Amino acid sequence: MAQTVEPLVVPDIGKEEKSDPKGDLAPGFLVICWDDPVNLMDYVTHVFQVVFRWPRQKAEFHMLQVHRQGKSVLARESPERAEHYVHQLQSYSLHATMERDA
Amino acid sequence: MKFIKREGENFVLHIGKRKRPLLFEVLKLYPLVPAAHHRVSQTAKQMDEHQTLLEEALAERRQENKRQLVAMLHEEQRFKETDTGYRLTLSAPQMEWLLQVLNDIRVGSWLILGEPDEKKGKPVALTSENARHYAAMEFCGLFQMTLLDAVEHRR
Repeated sequence: MAQTVEPLVVPDIGKEEKSDPKGDLAPGFLVICWDDPVNLMDYVTHVFQVVFRWPRQKAEFHMLQVHRQGKSVLARESPERAEHYVHQLQSYSLHATMERDA
Repeated sequence: MKFIKREGENFVLHIGKRKRPLLFEVLKLYPLVPAAHHRVSQTAKQMDEHQTLLEEALAERRQENKRQLVAMLHEEQRFKETDTGYRLTLSAPQMEWLLQVLNDIRVGSWLILGEPDEKKGKPVALTSENARHYAAMEFCGLFQMTLLDAVEHRR
């Protein structure tokens, strides 16, 4: 991911039923965003905020996870919802996929 | 390009006289990312139907984006001339749309450049053929940062 700015504070991320990959939801698909060297960090944060309606701190947390760990699980959803999110993220040209939750 | 102010729900941006033709030239490159570049899954093998749906959806979205782009570039009132350049007014959905268009050009240019990655010791191999894509990639990044600053200013 192309570097722009890094926040100084790592946020305390609260649990959200709809997007917690470890949540107690029916088995489904993980929505994953993968690192690449071209998408700007601020842009990725913005896209997460728009697509998932997350607050900036949570979006930054996942953006940094992508940047530092190579990927971030953004949501655990039904196939239809996962596909919807992947479509949204890819329309912003992010490297996102849906993977069956093992 | 720089963010000037909010006017109601709209964003007002300034673009210099020499930057406007550059922006137009860069926008003419859209779309650059091939629909098949995006994979719906990295591991699942029985995803053909999902992949087809994804490519169709992206192609449809790009067609609509291109139509809007052509309309915007030919809309005389969109860029109002000032003493030092032009004043560009965009609504929030138009800002979002322009961000997507610029990022498609940025990522598409990066693909054409052979996916350079400085962190992995794979620098850009510039040639006379791909130099314009390097410039497009960098300019799109700059324009995107201006738009993102404006959007963040609103929040």
